Amino acid sequence: MRVLAYELRRLRSLRSTWLIVSAVVCCDVAAAVVLTRQLPAGPLSTTEAVRAVTALVPLLPLPFAALGAGALGALSYRHEVRYPGLAASRVTLLRRLWLLVGKLVVLAPVALALAVLTLTLDALAVRLALPTGVTLGVFDDPVLRPELFVDGAPVGPARSLAAFVLLVVVSGWAGLLFTAVVRSAVAGLLALLAVPVLLEPAAAMALSRLGDSWPLWAQELMPFRFSLGRFGLGSGLGSRLGLASSARPGPVAGLAPAGVAELLVTLAVPGVVLLLGCLLAQLRRRAL
Amino acid sequence: MIQTTGLTKTYRRRRPPAVLDLTFDARPGVVTALLGAEGAGKTTAVRLMVELERGLGITLFGGRTYRSLRRPEREVGVLLPTGTAAMGHPGQRAYCHLRMLAASIGVPARRADELLEQTRLAGIADHRLRSFSPGMSRRLGLAAALLGSPGTLLLDTPTDGLSPRSAEWFHSFVRSFAVAGGTVLVTTRTPEEAAAVADRVITLDQGRLASDQPAGEFRRARLHHEVSVRGPQMARLADLLTGQGGEVRPDGTTGIAVTGIGRTEIGELAYRHGILLHELADRVVDRPAQHLALPTTSGRSGHVQLQAQPQAPHQGSYQGAHPSPLHTPPQPPAHTPHQATHQAHHPAAHPDSPSDSPPAQAEPQAQPQLQSQSRGPDHQRGRRHARISAIDTDPLSTEHLMADWPQTPEQRVPDEQRGSAGEPAHPELFHEHTVSAAHSVGAAHPIGSEHHSHHSHYSEHQPDTTVTHPAPGPDHLSE
Repeated sequence: MRVLAYELRRLRSLRSTWLIVSAVVCCDVAAAVVLTRQLPAGPLSTTEAVRAVTALVPLLPLPFAALGAGALGALSYRHEVRYPGLAASRVTLLRRLWLLVGKLVVLAPVALALAVLTLTLDALAVRLALPTGVTLGVFDDPVLRPELFVDGAPVGPARSLAAFVLLVVVSGWAGLLFTAVVRSAVAGLLALLAVPVLLEPAAAMALSRLGDSWPLWAQELMPFRFSLGRFGLGSGLGSRLGLASSARPGPVAGLAPAGVAELLVTLAVPGVVLLLGCLLAQLRRRAL
Repeated sequence: MIQTTGLTKTYRRRRPPAVLDLTFDARPGVVTALLGAEGAGKTTAVRLMVELERGLGITLFGGRTYRSLRRPEREVGVLLPTGTAAMGHPGQRAYCHLRMLAASIGVPARRADELLEQTRLAGIADHRLRSFSPGMSRRLGLAAALLGSPGTLLLDTPTDGLSPRSAEWFHSFVRSFAVAGGTVLVTTRTPEEAAAVADRVITLDQGRLASDQPAGEFRRARLHHEVSVRGPQMARLADLLTGQGGEVRPDGTTGIAVTGIGRTEIGELAYRHGILLHELADRVVDRPAQHLALPTTSGRSGHVQLQAQPQAPHQGSYQGAHPSPLHTPPQPPAHTPHQATHQAHHPAAHPDSPSDSPPAQAEPQAQPQLQSQSRGPDHQRGRRHARISAIDTDPLSTEHLMADWPQTPEQRVPDEQRGSAGEPAHPELFHEHTVSAAHSVGAAHPIGSEHHSHHSHYSEHQPDTTVTHPAPGPDHLSE
């Protein structure tokens, strides 16, 4: 409890926290507006809607909200490295691990709140900035159509949005843990940015070996497949990996439960490696 | 109660150990000072004690090691110097910083506010730490160390780079903490500070325990008494005193420092020969070491000077600004711990006073060398020090360096005061002059703490009584 109280006070009392949150919100809204302006005329598709609402910028490895959460995590650890308030009382391993766990626990709801906030504001921005040719289609008045957000709906964005929120939280944790390994916020953030660049093709390769492809809700959040396809670069690579753009309507319903499990394992392995790295680093150190 | 046994630390193989077999106790109700020059291993020793470093040896705080204490912040308050100037995140406000630390050790936020009051930071509590001076940062660090109301304090160079006023505040705080029954271990670089603050002084020399003395013994063994005399006819008086068997060295343009003859005898001698005196006062300096004056031009001295004079850039600029017209400036008397440590090892090898007239041709070579050596391998530390000193633009902060160079009368005031006790005694009391100053430090300085001045026109009537000379006005204090 003491660790949680400490971390909350620390997070609240720093100006950088509020600066990061406001910068994320500004970038997000701006990107959402620009993406909405570029939409082709006609009814809004699910993919386009998700991309606009989560403000996915092409070739940026992570959404802004995920980046912001990662930055919060990285700075949180760097504070302990550079300005140890009570350095002597962090000598024992158990105290350091508890502090790390406390930081992760506090970071999760903060990242969650950041994701929900950006989603709300982006949805508002998309609605307001919609160009004249585009109609909302099925998204017209989504409050009255709850079936859109029920899991498994053919065109529903529910899974994608949940995946986005999860992505933001995991990015926050990953920023914190990478910084815990390298003890530098900048290096930690760079490592965080490198993860999707490496992980996306690797996971796709693993999936193609198994004869699966990315589920649709995951495809909608992927930075490189989308942009490579848009710039005409991805077709060769994609077809070689069995991920032709034509697969976009995608076998969401046809995806076997085993496929989801494989995907989760593929994504979880780096996380476990990272946690072990943190543990080993803490074992060797005398300070955070 | 701190019991330290056999602390040993070697940073690199085949290098001399930073700390070697350091064993000592710090008892409750007593201020224990760990005295050593730069690089003597004080900080390493403190870090070993709280196990921030891996090393050999065991330190027990009330019978348990630091990491096995259940709630270490509630039993031992630790103040370690940080790499940065500020004690915490520079963007954080002071009260936020302290409340955050209070939350981390399970203390109500009210306690943090109380400590801000106690450390006189309440008025500036809502300012960001980046605007804090070294003295304010150190006070904030002390407040953080005190959050859990510990019974033991471990302070690593708490007054390093502080203005004398802040240092004096620290001293009085530390003494009152010990009087209330707490155990205090303070590290320091200057013997004067150790003598002023501590009841027991442990001297470290290159990581080894050089001596472990009660403060009285330490003062007798390590601090040196001399009489400072000023007046217009000092050359003649110096001849007379040398004839009487005293040892005289020049002290500024119009002063001499006399060893071996008492204050009253000097006064009588001057009176009999009709020599006008402007000042006649006892003072305490760190025991000057002979070999320091000689090898400034030899290759070996660089090492000694480097460790001894961390503030040498100041000194160099001061010399450049005020070349001594009459005397060749004497070598700075050994206010420096390193020299004194050598003295403790070889007391017989170094007679008390340097030569009366240092060779004049040696000086111009010596001074540039002194300046350049100070930017040697230790330049980083020196720069930091210079920056801190530049923030504390208090003339008193460098007064121990300037003490023996030509001075204006205003500058002489703190010099004189320092001479009385080796510590900056309450500047605000100073206009009541030395009686009160001597009184305030009387407990800590049984020897040589009386500080009187002697005027020849007074001694006409009462040659043996000491008379305080008129108090300098309060305008001297504002500097």
